[in-house]
Amino acid sequence: MTDEVLRLEDVSAGYDDLRALWDINLSVRSGEITVLLGPNGAGKTTLLSTIAGLLRTYSGKILFEGRDVTTLQAHTRARLGLGLVQENKRIFRRRTVEENLMIGGFWRYRRRRDLRAAIEAEYDRFPILRERRDKPAGTLSGGEQQMLAISQVVLAKPRVLMLDEPSAGLAPEIVRRVFSAVAALRDSGMAIILVEQVVHGPLEIADTIGVLDLGRLVLFKAKRDIEDISEIERLYFGEAGATSLRESNQS
Amino acid sequence: MLNETTLDRLRRVSPYAALLIPVLAYVVPVATESPFLARQVTLIAIMAMVVVGLNITYGYAGEFALGQAAFYAVGAYITGVLAVNGHNEMLLTLPLSALGAALCGLISGIPGLRLGGWSLAMVSFFLVLLIPDIADITREWTGGFDGLPGIPLMVVAGTEVDSNGYLLVVLIVATLVFAAARNLVKSRIGASLLVLKQSPVLARSLGISVYRSKLLAYVIGAVPAGIAGCLFSYLDGYIAPESFGFSVSVGFLAASILGGSQSIYGSLIGAALLQLGPLRSTAFQEYSLVVYGVFLIIGGIFFSGGITGIGGALIRRVRARFSPSPSTAPRAPARASVSSTEARRTAVTDKASGETLVIRNVTKAFGAITAVNDVSIEAPAGKVTAIIGANGSGKTTLLNLISGFYRPTSGEIILGKTKLSTLTAHRIARSGVARTFQTPTIPAGLTAADVVATARLADVRVGVLSTILRLPKFHRVRREDRRAALEVLETVGLSHVANQPASSLPLGTRRLLEVARALARRPRLVLLDEPASGLDRDALLELANAIRRIREAGVTVILVEHNFSLVLDLADTIHVLRRGVKIASGTPDEIRTNAEVLESYVGTAVKS
Amino acid sequence: MNTIFAALSTGAIYVIVAVAYNLVFAATGVFNFAQAQFVMLGTFVAYVGLVTFELPWVLVIVIGALIGALVGFLEERLAIRPLQGLGFHGELVTTLGVAVLLSGVAIVIWGTDPRPVGFGAHTILTLAGGRVFPAEIALIAIGIAVAVGAHLISSRTLFGITNLAASEDRVAARLRGVNVLRLSVIAFALAGAICVGVGPFVAAKTAATPNLGDILAIKGFVALAIGGFGSHKGALIGGLVAGLAEAFTARFLGSTYQNLAVFVLLLVVLLTRPNGLFGEREQRVV
Repeated sequence: MTDEVLRLEDVSAGYDDLRALWDINLSVRSGEITVLLGPNGAGKTTLLSTIAGLLRTYSGKILFEGRDVTTLQAHTRARLGLGLVQENKRIFRRRTVEENLMIGGFWRYRRRRDLRAAIEAEYDRFPILRERRDKPAGTLSGGEQQMLAISQVVLAKPRVLMLDEPSAGLAPEIVRRVFSAVAALRDSGMAIILVEQVVHGPLEIADTIGVLDLGRLVLFKAKRDIEDISEIERLYFGEAGATSLRESNQS
Repeated sequence: MLNETTLDRLRRVSPYAALLIPVLAYVVPVATESPFLARQVTLIAIMAMVVVGLNITYGYAGEFALGQAAFYAVGAYITGVLAVNGHNEMLLTLPLSALGAALCGLISGIPGLRLGGWSLAMVSFFLVLLIPDIADITREWTGGFDGLPGIPLMVVAGTEVDSNGYLLVVLIVATLVFAAARNLVKSRIGASLLVLKQSPVLARSLGISVYRSKLLAYVIGAVPAGIAGCLFSYLDGYIAPESFGFSVSVGFLAASILGGSQSIYGSLIGAALLQLGPLRSTAFQEYSLVVYGVFLIIGGIFFSGGITGIGGALIRRVRARFSPSPSTAPRAPARASVSSTEARRTAVTDKASGETLVIRNVTKAFGAITAVNDVSIEAPAGKVTAIIGANGSGKTTLLNLISGFYRPTSGEIILGKTKLSTLTAHRIARSGVARTFQTPTIPAGLTAADVVATARLADVRVGVLSTILRLPKFHRVRREDRRAALEVLETVGLSHVANQPASSLPLGTRRLLEVARALARRPRLVLLDEPASGLDRDALLELANAIRRIREAGVTVILVEHNFSLVLDLADTIHVLRRGVKIASGTPDEIRTNAEVLESYVGTAVKS
Repeated sequence: MNTIFAALSTGAIYVIVAVAYNLVFAATGVFNFAQAQFVMLGTFVAYVGLVTFELPWVLVIVIGALIGALVGFLEERLAIRPLQGLGFHGELVTTLGVAVLLSGVAIVIWGTDPRPVGFGAHTILTLAGGRVFPAEIALIAIGIAVAVGAHLISSRTLFGITNLAASEDRVAARLRGVNVLRLSVIAFALAGAICVGVGPFVAAKTAATPNLGDILAIKGFVALAIGGFGSHKGALIGGLVAGLAEAFTARFLGSTYQNLAVFVLLLVVLLTRPNGLFGEREQRVV
């Protein structure tokens, strides 16, 4: 039995001079992966930023575990259990890998010993990070930085984990590892929102699928309720692109 | 604190009506035979001149500087020393004072502008604090801490001038300074300062040398202060270092903010308010710093950003909140040019010409991350070459490499015969490369036509003197600027917004405006950075048309884009990047059916 | 040798101001023009505490630190917090406003004449062949301690590391649960406490002077320019170098030229190595 951890009601948001989201309604449950797709400029990053508290809403409510967090600061939401892994692997490049992980968990583990244990657990998840623990994070490769970014957030055991295009620029094997790590987190009960540009990899692990276009949620359904994948492709690629996909599938 | 529209209304009455002010300022004190009034008017005029210079440096060019009092002091002492030593001709001392101030501006500006942010303010402020020391070192001439007494009455063209004459001279000089300042900011030079203030990146992409332009604005801003100093030294026949200290400097800044830093006439209002306010009475003198301090804090919070201050931010937020969604926005009526997809050729499209862009084995690494890996692409003139790929594929990095905001780790980029990869961004822009930005970068305070006209800033130059004196060359260039801008606007279908403030136009229009600005540069190469992002169907159609126009003109077009159908529609050749590597090249038909490409877009193996 | 002690003790004051600048800059991205005025305030707290009320000096330091923390807190709340995240640099004007305000208040209360504060002025120590006041030795020790302490705390403690992270990427730090607003307040309060707390030692050297803050603001900046913004190690070296330049110029050319010498030093540094010795080179990004 999964319960709802996050709900957005009629949320509209944007930046100081540019509105980006209109009337967003969605619900995310624990132990499930919600995938959000959409082209550039559709508002995916804006949506995650709004949920995380980096942007103020114009209107609407954000409910986290039943509690209204719409007016709470970003750091407060993080400490309540809302974790966001931003796009472009935004870790602290000048700090070492180990320091990055410490920053990820400093507020959660009051005792040094517990923080240590949590960090070791992340090293178990992504062993390459252990090898690089004393290196400045900026010297890591793209895939390693992405793993560090995820570990940094997951260390604090968030209830909702949001990932913004974690596969961008990564080799397929690494993307597979990332997605399987995400699936494992889902299985352990975390609620996950996964924003992506590529379509099929995320679709495989998705439980719910949403599509954003020009600031609106034009599709939001459980995967099992979607009859035809072309529905998504058309929204995503436009007619010409969807046609090409169909053609290449048949050839 | 008066906002732009109120002053705009005042200004529309007539710039010549403003001449009434100096006339009244002379007639009233003379007619009422009031030396007190004459003195107040003189002090206001003098202070206003100093503040006008600060407004040019700070309000227009965005450079925070605290050195006006130093330039003021230099002007005063040059005149004072010359006058005391028998060279009292104002027609000599005034230009020398102005020159001295300009030199001082150079000395503090060249190092001060090397590091951003506070360094210019600090260097210029240091100058102010050094005035007593310098006065002491040169005490033989300047009288040191005791000051320089015995400055004779002003002599103009050989004739000694009495107190009414002095007032007249001050007012005439002030009027001329204001006219010059107004002419300077209401011109393409003023526009270039606004570009500079908005974004140094935009300035570079337009071919403007940021450092040199800021230095110029700073030195120009010093000149009126020097002139004011010259006049000041004749006021009491005595000057001393105390007149040029810290609180005087702060007073100038306060006056600038009070009247509105981005307004020429505002400096007059600020100076008047400060001069006539309660601070003048001796009872309040000792509280003056306290009042200035509080005012600066409040003024800084609410007003120093001008229209972009807190009040402005609030207004923009409210406006943004109620803006219509692009997918449901009503179509604007009477846009005759939109629906036509026919070729609309204008003289603009006949004159431009492109050259082949060669990207050869270019690699860019950031630490351990290779963003672009041994990519080679050839883009011929008169064709649209599209570069596509998912986020993280390196396409944006490649664009920044071509336009010079990054240097390649290895490999070269050549346009025609010019090697771009060793040039700086603004030199690349000058060699005929124009680009747009993913987030439209449009300076506040300009109309759409003005924005397009900024494209010509680096290619056609008009000197400061021509601009101030409104010589024929200035007018000719201005007409050409306007004509060129309107032509380009018509080419992209934006004639109907030519005179509207550009920064409040909708996103799609601003994107088109950026394309228009790029076209107006008569470039050899145009780089389009994800222009379709966030646009609805109508705006996409207009964008596609505009790009076709550019192609017809024979320009080389590089289109970095994520919108697959737009790319299939427009491109002559498509290159696909994945994780920094080029994985496919071909015509739209070839790419459309290329399984590897689709896989890179669509993720792991395509499922049916 | 006398000159060297004078140079180092003067330089130590610059070091303290520069470290304070760095603390605030690292936590908020704001250059606090008013920071040096806190030192000026400290000299007056010392005057009132030591001369008017004849309190024990340890107590005066503590009271000074508390006052400094309070004023720093107020500055952050009233002049900086309203501007955070607005994009344009209104803090340039507001911190100047605070500086002017503090200076103005001092003039209103105490007038413009310097008030001497005899703090250990009756003792003259002879060390290493030179004569020096105890307050000057203390200043040198404090300056080094403050710089080294700040450096160690920022690089070794968890608090320091989160601070560095916040200065590197404020948004990412917020997402990691770092309360950047609180860090901001702490930085201002801490910088204020340090600057006002050292008041007695500074006052012994310079007397309580209302316009001390003006020239000190600049010279602290010079220390940063030499050492590099954001670096505490750099602040230490920069401050001492500035102090040496000033003292030796005063010795050999006369005190009228000492400020000019520091100015020339600033120009040279900005022209040849604008990022200072340990400053971070920024990657230009579009």
